[in-house]
Formats: sequence, structure tokens, C-alpha cells
Amino acid sequence: MENKPLYSVAATFDDVNKLIKAVDKVNEAGYTIYDVHSPYPIHGMPKAMKLKPSKLGFVTLIFGLSGAIFAFLFMYWVNVIDYPLIVGGKPFYQLPAYIPVMFEVTVLSASVFTIVWMLFIMFKFPNLSHPLLDTDYMKKVSVDRYGISIQAKDELFDLVKVKEFLKELGAEEVFEIYFKVDELKDKPKIFDKKFISFLALTTVIVSGITYFILNHLLFMSPFNWMHEQFRVDPQTTTTVFKDNFGMRNPVAGTVARGHLPYPFKGNPADAEKFLVNPLIPTKQVLELGKQKYLTFCSPCHGNFGEGDSRLRGQFPNPPTLHSDKLRNMKDGGIYHIITDGQNVMPSYASQITEEERWAIVHYIRVLQRSLNPKESDLR
Amino acid sequence: MRTIDYSIEPPVVEQNPSLSSINESIAKPLETKPTKGWYIAISISLTMLLIGAVSLGWTFYKGVGVWGVNQPVGWGFDIVNFVFWVGIGHAGTLISAILFLLRQRWRTSIARFAEAMTIFAVMCAGIFPAIHTGRPWLDGYLFPYPNQHALWVNFTSPLLWDVFAVSTYFTVSLVFWYIGLIPDLAALRDRTTNKIKKVVYSILSLGWRHSNRHWQHYEMAYLILAGFATPLVLSVHTIVSFDFAVSIMPGWHTTIFPPYFVAGAVFSGFAMVQNVLIIIRKVFKIEHIITLDTLEKMNKVMLATGMMVGYAYGMEFFIAWYSGNPIEQFVFLNRALGPYAWSYWIMVSCNVLFTQLFWFRKIRRSIPVMFVIAVLVNVGMWFERFVIVVTSLSRDYLPSSWGMYIPTIYDFGILIGSFGLFFTLIFLFIRTLPVVSIAEVKAVLPNSQPSHGGHN
Amino acid sequence: MSSEFKIPEKKNISSKTKFLAFGLFGLGLLLSIIAFVVDSHRALANYNVIFTFLVSIAVGNLFWFAIEYLSGAVWSTVMRRVNEIFISFIPVVFVIGLLVLFNTHSIFHWAHEEAVKNDKLLQWKSPYLNEQFFTIRYFIYFLLWILFAYLVLKNSLKQDDVKDQIYSYKNSKISALFLPIFAITLTFFSIDFLMSTEPHWFSTIFGVYYFAGTALSSIAIVTLAVILLHEKGYFGDILKSDHFYNLGALLFAFINFWAYIAFSQFLLIWYANLPEETFWMIHRWEKGWEIFSFILIFGHFLIPYFSLLSQQAKSNLGRLKFMSIWILVMHYVDLYWLVMPSLYKEVVFGWIELSFVLLGIGITLLVFVFRFERIKNIIPVGDPKLKRSLEFHL
Repeated sequence: MENKPLYSVAATFDDVNKLIKAVDKVNEAGYTIYDVHSPYPIHGMPKAMKLKPSKLGFVTLIFGLSGAIFAFLFMYWVNVIDYPLIVGGKPFYQLPAYIPVMFEVTVLSASVFTIVWMLFIMFKFPNLSHPLLDTDYMKKVSVDRYGISIQAKDELFDLVKVKEFLKELGAEEVFEIYFKVDELKDKPKIFDKKFISFLALTTVIVSGITYFILNHLLFMSPFNWMHEQFRVDPQTTTTVFKDNFGMRNPVAGTVARGHLPYPFKGNPADAEKFLVNPLIPTKQVLELGKQKYLTFCSPCHGNFGEGDSRLRGQFPNPPTLHSDKLRNMKDGGIYHIITDGQNVMPSYASQITEEERWAIVHYIRVLQRSLNPKESDLR
Repeated sequence: MRTIDYSIEPPVVEQNPSLSSINESIAKPLETKPTKGWYIAISISLTMLLIGAVSLGWTFYKGVGVWGVNQPVGWGFDIVNFVFWVGIGHAGTLISAILFLLRQRWRTSIARFAEAMTIFAVMCAGIFPAIHTGRPWLDGYLFPYPNQHALWVNFTSPLLWDVFAVSTYFTVSLVFWYIGLIPDLAALRDRTTNKIKKVVYSILSLGWRHSNRHWQHYEMAYLILAGFATPLVLSVHTIVSFDFAVSIMPGWHTTIFPPYFVAGAVFSGFAMVQNVLIIIRKVFKIEHIITLDTLEKMNKVMLATGMMVGYAYGMEFFIAWYSGNPIEQFVFLNRALGPYAWSYWIMVSCNVLFTQLFWFRKIRRSIPVMFVIAVLVNVGMWFERFVIVVTSLSRDYLPSSWGMYIPTIYDFGILIGSFGLFFTLIFLFIRTLPVVSIAEVKAVLPNSQPSHGGHN
Repeated sequence: MSSEFKIPEKKNISSKTKFLAFGLFGLGLLLSIIAFVVDSHRALANYNVIFTFLVSIAVGNLFWFAIEYLSGAVWSTVMRRVNEIFISFIPVVFVIGLLVLFNTHSIFHWAHEEAVKNDKLLQWKSPYLNEQFFTIRYFIYFLLWILFAYLVLKNSLKQDDVKDQIYSYKNSKISALFLPIFAITLTFFSIDFLMSTEPHWFSTIFGVYYFAGTALSSIAIVTLAVILLHEKGYFGDILKSDHFYNLGALLFAFINFWAYIAFSQFLLIWYANLPEETFWMIHRWEKGWEIFSFILIFGHFLIPYFSLLSQQAKSNLGRLKFMSIWILVMHYVDLYWLVMPSLYKEVVFGWIELSFVLLGIGITLLVFVFRFERIKNIIPVGDPKLKRSLEFHL
């Protein structure tokens, strides 16, 4: 018994009532480290074995409640703090609508963790090297026999006595069950090469798949016909016209609406001389001018035309619009600068329509008058 | 008049088999070569699956425009099939969890199979929400994860609740099923002589050793899981019903929807389980384990749930009138008399009228008749969802935007494909895993439990 | 029937309890009459609440009786007589309800002709909500309930002497017939006496909601009665903790079921936000009524849920006794919450309410005592399932 790795002595019984009586006797004899094996759960067996009631319920309760609390806090954080969005006229915080998800998360976490806890922490599964596995004894108790196995660890254990004892109880067969020697020696190590490489491989595969899904798979659009439409894209050929040019010249002698050629290109003096603002500075015109000014001009010239650029030196600051030169310049001159550009300022002709340019000019006049009002304005 | 002896407990299993013969008869299909019939059956189901795969492939290639859905009827077969399959999936958990809590011992012989069916049915159901968006490769966005758009899902939408409900349901059903399988896999491990099978069974059974110190916790875990699965099963179909009922669509927004959907789900699920079990018990010659009494009890459940569904139909009509809301009234009259009246009457006759035949004991115990009725029940329940979805959408508030829904060949192809998937999985299941729980059936055999002396 | 188990001799109820029953009933009656004189409108509304509460208990027990026969349950057979005592309340409740019937005018808004004249919705509903049809329906409900109660009780009591299984068979058949009728009658009863107190409002789940409360409160009162009788030794020592566990489990299940139905109704109305439905909920969420809504959320669901959650709690007699009283109180609050806000804008609760509660308890106790005296055996000694019931274990 000393050097022999004996695990237990086991006996099979052929009747469940005999088994219950035998278990009572085993208890009376004072054995504590023993187990009973049967192909199905037997009513009253935990009581006969004097087992304490299962505490699994507490695990369930704790994981269930934490699931509920987590779900609630998460939804609260998303809906109220991180991403507040009004849907269906409901408030951000809406408890009734959280309850379904809270319930589901509670059930999920409670049931999954209960099972995980039971199998992997209480039972210490998977355990394929247990000495009882693969024995003739196990093959019997998994079909139609009931077994008692008294472990060698028990304080009262004595091989001969236990065997006698079990036979007295009416055992059909008695087995001696040994540890599997080779598996006893084979102690798993954390820094085992195989284990480490297995971990590494798993890490690489899992992170690779995750990366692929999140960064590539979600952006793939295998068949997206919306992207492909029956139209001619710029710079492409077409079979509609004989010369295969997709881009066409306008019909000779015509001008597209809003695309009248600008006659004063590179000629600010004439522009100032001949161009006249066609708009009257009504409220709407000034609103339009203000809007366009703030959109297109203010990044460099500043919200009030003082040349206080918001671009923090990434682009040279233009001079103020309140200079005498600008204040005395006629409307046509300013219009020309917007249209044609000046120094580092590019042309805005493609972004701002003619009407809008004139409106901006009016708005600049408003800004100028606000800093240098006329006598009449002050009255 | 026939009398039953109430003073003895009716046996769950007939012919009083021995414990070892249970192992024999349940493990037999796993250890013998499949019969010709099995090959024929699986080739039919695989063909159906292929039809579905082709229709689905074409749907992905061209977009959901190939379906019959259109502007007023934006939900068509996809949602009908989804609700239908989720409903089928409910009987499994009902049998395994609710009947377990009610200690109905006749459930033991059918629970395993019903649980497997649940999982397969939920898989079939899961396809539809995934594909109905038309761009299934973007379905990852259904889950709340911190993505690069800094967007979150809308936690207050019933469609998002569906994602949570169905995935939780699938996971918990799978865990429940697996927990039940562990002792049986261990029993198979101990009896197999094939080396590869032995390795597979060993790994799957995790080293289970039939220890009573484990059985104690195992039974507790089973009880807890059953306790959770019961409200879960209610919640899943309740949330599916919320998809409709939280809207303000006439005919969808009625407060009875949650229990009504749950009753309907149980109803159709029992019908499906009964259908498949009738075939299984015949083919595998386990009529003494899945007994006629068990089938009769299932028929009684169908009768009861069928009447609950009928109650809901009636209640909807009555309250539509009672509410005094003309739109609500129109919708229900339109169901019964409008362009889709045929589907409404299929639904009513299959679900409410034909099941009334189960009042008669002779019919409850006649296998061909109950088989036909159960098939009709499933037809009726499919049409119930069709009626709910299509009639309300095709005739809602504005007559100017009314429209008809005509399903296309691809709609039918995908429906056939989902049946193909379901039956293929079932045929594979019955060849690879025990269709009846060995441990549970043993536990309810006569003389398998100690006679009640001191220990209880 | 069984030699192994000693069937306890039936004891009579102590004169102290009888005195208590008479005393409570007398006091309740006196206070209620005063209440009628002081504020007949409010008194009648309270009377309606108590009436529907008694219907819950009486008809709910008939439901459980039928369920026992249909499901083939054996554990409850031993305590079925208690069930039957409550079933025999039905004729008494019928008489109690007549007062409501004669006073529809002060309880139901739709019974006011001048109100109907100016209200299109009420005009539409008048083919259903009118006093003649209301009375006819009342008689139909009670005729059916009394008929079924009479049939099953007759069979069950006869079996005590004859000990023939045929009565079990007959009762199973009657029970199967009863259930669909029960579903329909109870639904329309709840629509008539509870939902129509606010005649503009409607909800398809309402019948199921009332059923949930009915099933819960009737199992609660059976639990309470069985525990009290058990503690006084009327059952000898034949009731094991497993019997009580089942009662506790059923209580727990129906606490959940009620919450499920109540939440479903609330969420759908809250989410869709249609004015034709929400006004009913909003009204119960303002002007003091929200106190009752909160009491329901916590008292009708959360507190009983957590106190009956653990396995030990479900067979702990003290806990069960307390929780069954608690649930009966909550069912009263639930019915009060359904009826009173429809009639009163602002919260009302005072001595009038309490005197009617007293009257309800008095009636229940009095009828129970009377009925208990009449029956020969406290246990259905002739029932073939009795032996299995006594041997019942989980």
C-alpha cells in the first residue's frame, strides 16, 4: 500500500436498495473519503451520503445579479453619456426599454457561469486521467450497476479490511483501482514548450481572425450594385458617341447657366471701374452674405475681418479688411479679388456663385462700418 | 366508459426494460451502418438545403430586390419564417425545462430530442434576421462593440432585443443540451470499442465518472438551468412579439401579443416534435420508450395551446370592436374578408378547428390522424405569422399606399432551404448522438429508485 | 384507505375562531353600512373591489381544482378539500355581487344615460355596455360557475363514501370542459367589472392579467388555509415539507407570471404611446396614485420574488404563511389600483377602504368556518390518488 499507487477499493451492487443500505453502513463505519457511482442520479442519495446541500445557487445569484447590473450600467452609459440619441420621442434614460436586454443578459451570465463554475471549478473538469476512468468498474456503473469506491486517502483505510467490509455489505464484485503510473509522473508545467507554442498559436489565430473581421470583413461589400450605376463617369470612355469621348464640349456658341466668362481676369483696375454691385443690401442679402462669409472667408480673415486667422499659422495670415485701402475700394474691386484671387488667396469662383459674392461684398461693408462708422451711423 | 386506475402511477416506459437494454436500444443507431431509408431521407433534405443555398446565393448576388417585398409590405417571408422557426424552437425548452419543473416524468423520453430540435430550429430562425438586411456581411454591427464609427446600437429597439434574446436563447439551449448529454456521452465512452469514437466521447464527456458527489450538483445545476430556461423561453417569443406590438401598426399593436405568441410557439413546437418523434420511434423501434401515452399527452398540450391561440384570435376581434377604433376594426375585418382572407381561414381552421378533434381519445391515440393534424397545425401556425405580417402591412392607415405582397420563387426557395437545413441537422443528430437521454430514462424506470424508507 | 398513514380525525373549529369570524364580519358589516351612509359612491366602488377579490378566490380555486384533475397531480390531492371549501364560496359571492348589479349607476360611467348621450365612444360600446346585457352576462357567468362547482363538488364528496374511481374519471371530464369556459367567462367578467370602470380604455391582455392575479391569490389563500390548519393540527402529521414546497413553487411561479403579464401590458402601452391607451397608465402615475403603482411593482413582484427565490424558502412554513398573506393583500391592492383611479382623480384611501377589507376578511372567515363544519372529512378519503399523495416526495 505504501509504494503502490492505490487509488481506491470499489465494489459494485446490483440493486439500488442494497446500495443505500451499504452507503449507510459505510457512513456508520466512519469512512469519509468515498464516493458512490451510479448511471443516473438516485433520489435521497445526497442525504444518505450526508452531503451538504449544493451551494451552486449562490454562484447563480451572484453572476445573475452582476449580469443585470452590468447590462443596466452599460446601456445607461451608452444611451445617456456616450451616445445620447433621441429615438421615437423617448427620453435618453428609459428604464422600461432596458428591461428586456437586462433580463437576457442576466439569464445568459447566470446560466453560463453556473455551468462553467460547476464543471471547471467544482468538478475540476476536464479530467481525462482520473484513475477511475477506463476501469472495468466504471464500465459497469455506467450501465446498470451501482458502486461504492472507498479511497486509499481515508484515515481508516486498510486494503484487506475494506475489501472484507464491502463484501459483507453484499457487493457483487470488488475492484482495486490504481493510479495510472505514467500519468502520475507526467505533471503539466506552465512553461512547457508545447503549451507555450499552443498558447502563442491560439493568440495569433484569434487576434488575426478578430483583426480580419473588424477591419476587413465588415468593410467588404461583395455584391453592391448601388455602387455600379448606368451613367458616364468623368474621364471615362463611352460607346454612346462616335468619338468615344465621355466628356463633351458644350454646343458651339452657347454658355452654360451661371458660367458666363469673366472678362476682367488679371485686370483688377477695370473690374473696379466697371463692375457695379447689382444687389441692394436687404436683410436677406446680408444674411446670405454673412453665412457665406463665415463659411468661406472667416477661416483666414477672421469672423470680423480683422485678419485673425483660425489656421494657427498653417497658412499666411491675410491683412485686415478694415484698412483704408479696403474701405475705399469700390465694390467691384472686392468682387474681383473673390473671383480672381490675389497674392496667395486663390479664386473662389468655383465655390461661391456670383450672387453670393456680391452678398459677401455687402457683408464686408457691414463689418467695415461697424468698426469705422460714419457720422450718420452714430446719430 | 373507460376507467383509468388513478391509484398507481402510470409508467413512463413500457415493457419494463432492464437498465442495460436502455443503453443497447438507444446506442444502437450510433453503432450500426445507416439504412437505405436514412440515405434517401438525408438526400432529400440535402436537396432542399441546396435549393435554399442557391436562392440565398442569388439573393446575396442581386440583393433583396429578388424577393417579393415591396414598399408597403417591407416584411415578407423573411420575418414570417423567422417567427415560425423561433416558435418551433420553443417546444424543446418547454419540454425540457417547464415540464421538468412541473415534474412531468413523461418528458424524459422526449426531452433530448426536443432540445436538439430547439437548437436546430433556432439556427434556422437565426438565418432570417441575418439575411433580411440584404447585406449579411455587415451583421457584426448588430452587436454592441466599440467600433471605429463610435456608434452604438439602439438598445431601446425591439429588433436589438431580438438579437439579445435569440443569441441568449441559443446559447442557453446549447448549454442545457450539452449538460444533459455529458452523462450519456460518458456512458457511450464506456461502451464503445472504436478508438476514434472513444477519443471523441472522452473529450466531450470531460471525464464524467457518474459520481454521486457530482450528481448532486448536476441535479442542482439542471434545476437552476430549467428555472432560467423557463422565463427565458417566455421572454424570447415575448420579445419577438414586441417586434410587432410596440409599433403603432393596426393589428400589431395589441397587448395580448406576448402571451399569445408564446402559446402559439409552444403549439407549433409540440406539433413539430410530435411529427418527428412518430417517425423516429418507428424507425429505431423505440416505441416502448417513446410511448403512445407520451404522444397522447403531447396531443393534449396541443389541444390546450390551440385553444389559447383561438382565445387570442377571439379577444383581438372583440377588443377591436370594443375599442371603437375604426382602423383597428377595419384591419380585423380585412383579415377575415379582405384579399388575404384565404390565409386567415387556413390559419383559423388549422389552428383552432382541426385541433378540436383532439377532444376525442380515439383520435389522440391514432398515430396517422394525429400526424396529419400536427402537420396541419404547423401549416396553420406558419400562416398565422403570414396573416399578422402581410395583412397589416398591405392595408394600413393610408389607402393611397396600400399594396399587395406576392412572394417570388426565391422566397419559397429559402423557405424550403430552411426546412432542408433543419431536417439535415436532425438526420445527422440521430446518427451521432443518443436521441433519448439514457440517464434520465433510467432514473424513471420502475425499481430504479430506492423504495421510500428513511431517505427522503 | 391506507394502513401506513393515519388519517387524522376531523376536529371542529374552536369557538374562539368562530367568535373571531362573527366578530370581524359584524364589525366589517357595521363599518361598511356607516360608509354607505357617509359616502355611498366610494363605498360601492370599494364593495366592487371586494366582490372581485372574492370572485378571484372562489373561481380561482375551481380553476386549480380542474388543473389538479387534468394534470394528474397527486401532491395536491391531500389538501384538495381546502380547495373545495373555497369553491363552495361561489354561490355566496353570487349573492354578494347582486348589490353591485343593482348599483351599476354609481360604479360604472357607461351606465349614465346622459354621459352616453354626449360620448360617441360610449354610444358605440352601448350594445355591449348596457345594464340589461350586463345583468344577463352576470347571470351567465355565475350560472356556469355554480353549475361546474356543484358537479365537481358532488362527485368529490360522494367519492368519500363510495370510494369509486369513476368519480375521478367524471371529474376529469368535467374539468376539461370547464377550462375553456373558465377562460372565456373570467375574461369577460374582468372586462365587465374591472376594465369597464374606465369605459374608454381597452387592453386585449386584460383578461389574462386578471387571471394571473386570480390564480396567484387563490393559491395563496389555499396555502394560508392549509398552513393554518396544519399548525392547529387538523392535518395530523401527514403533510410533508415537499407538499409545502409545491405550494411555494406555485406561488413563486405565479408571482413571476403576474409580473410578466403586467410588464407586457405596461411596456406595449408605454412604448407605442398612443393617447387612447396611455391616459389610463398616466392616470395611475400621478396625483398620489403612483404610490399604489410603486406598491405593486415592489410588493406584488420584487419583494415576494426575492423572499421565495431560494429552495429552502419555498418550504419554510413561516415564510410561506407570511408571503401568502402578503400576496392576498397585494391582490387587493392590485384590484383597488384597477378600479379606484378610474373613479377618483386623486388618491383616496382611508377608513372606508379598511372597513370593506374587514368585511371581506369577515365574509371569507365566516363562510370558511361554516363550510368547514359541514364537511365530513378534511381529506378526500375516497380518492384513489390519496395514497400516492400521502407518499409524495420530490
